[in-house]
Amino acid sequence: MAVNYINRGSAAKVQASEKTRDDEWSNLLVRVGRDRDRVSFEQLFSHFAPLIRGFQFSRGGQSSAPEAADELIQEVMFRVWTKAPTFNPEKASASTWVFTIMRNCRIDALRRNSRQPVTDESLSVEDIWDDSQDEQPLVFLQQSRNQSAIAQGLQSLPPEQSHVIEKAYVEGKSHSEISEELGLPLGTVKSRVRLALKKLQSTLVR
Amino acid sequence: MIHYHPDNNMLLEYASGSLSWAQSLAVSAHIHFCPQCAAQMKMLNNVGGNLLSASAPVASVEREDSAIFGDLMQRIEARENEEHEEPAAPAKAVRERTSRDPAFSAVPPVVKKLLAQNPVLKWRRLSKGLKEARLKTGQNELEVAFHRIAPGSKVAEHDHRGKEITLVLYGSFSDGEGVYSTGDFLVREPGQVHRPTATQDQECLCLSVVEAPVALTGLLGRMMNPFLSLKPQ
Repeated sequence: MAVNYINRGSAAKVQASEKTRDDEWSNLLVRVGRDRDRVSFEQLFSHFAPLIRGFQFSRGGQSSAPEAADELIQEVMFRVWTKAPTFNPEKASASTWVFTIMRNCRIDALRRNSRQPVTDESLSVEDIWDDSQDEQPLVFLQQSRNQSAIAQGLQSLPPEQSHVIEKAYVEGKSHSEISEELGLPLGTVKSRVRLALKKLQSTLVR
Repeated sequence: MIHYHPDNNMLLEYASGSLSWAQSLAVSAHIHFCPQCAAQMKMLNNVGGNLLSASAPVASVEREDSAIFGDLMQRIEARENEEHEEPAAPAKAVRERTSRDPAFSAVPPVVKKLLAQNPVLKWRRLSKGLKEARLKTGQNELEVAFHRIAPGSKVAEHDHRGKEITLVLYGSFSDGEGVYSTGDFLVREPGQVHRPTATQDQECLCLSVVEAPVALTGLLGRMMNPFLSLKPQ
């Protein structure tokens, strides 16, 4: 199933407005965190709920049940509300921050549905995918510049590379699952991912 | 200075959430030591954020978004009322001796949490100078353990039955291929034989994650299938 999730045609036009729009979502998030502002939260919800649903539907197969997507939306936005006070717009854009929360929710859902019971003594997903650990001093290009550089980089990837990247992120597949599904040797999947990342990296150091 | 890192493929699987739980634990602990991989994680999360904002929005099918939002706000209010009544109890401190053990003094927060879940480590001697304590992580396909090598000790040459990740938490060790110190992250494929030796002046503590064969998880399997298959010296 080769669905292209990125709308290549309108990419350039969207580019310029995308940055300012992402700033807008960041501002809303800051307001939710600082003032517990429900109006801002509702605006964020209206923006992200259809995107999360779109992301989840793109996975195809059994997980595309509408109830599952609605459940995911509720869980993600619940955590967005709870964690908003820790959001720092200098460290991540709103969409990247929401992505990491969504990823964690999906990992949780997978664990709950697995045959292995999640015991009380096990670690929580936030212990392992701890995004607060990038508190260490790092030298970065401005965060929003990175964001649009990567957006552009993603547009310019050859289709076979963007395809494996999307399978990994959107469908949540491991390299070996992708290799099985596409009938490609594992080494080929790995090298496509590496080439894609190299290209994205090069957009950052320009 | 860290010289050995998880490769970009593994970091991407971690960032996108498809890497196994136990291996993710080792990657997470490595990132705590490694600014370079922390920076790479920023980029990888950024890729996810971009894919989310570029995904085609889908309007609600089952229920109106306003109804979902209503439920959500109810849940949030219920939760906030609860919090007013009883503040969450502070996390239990690590009770065990490990808190005073220099080897465990500077471990990453995720390892501290792991210790809190395993308050009593049962150390088992595997060979001269090598001890192991297995951990409960809520997952069976992969085994997570601490290994300590006494100062200057040579571990018997051994093979691993599955892919093994080793993260050095304290001290350093070496084998035929290199010297590994705190924060270094090593991946050994099954069949790769090595003979680690701890540095002379210091003991070495590592976190290991090994793939376990699925068929052999019963009690008998465990007995016949030790963590390391040691060869006679």
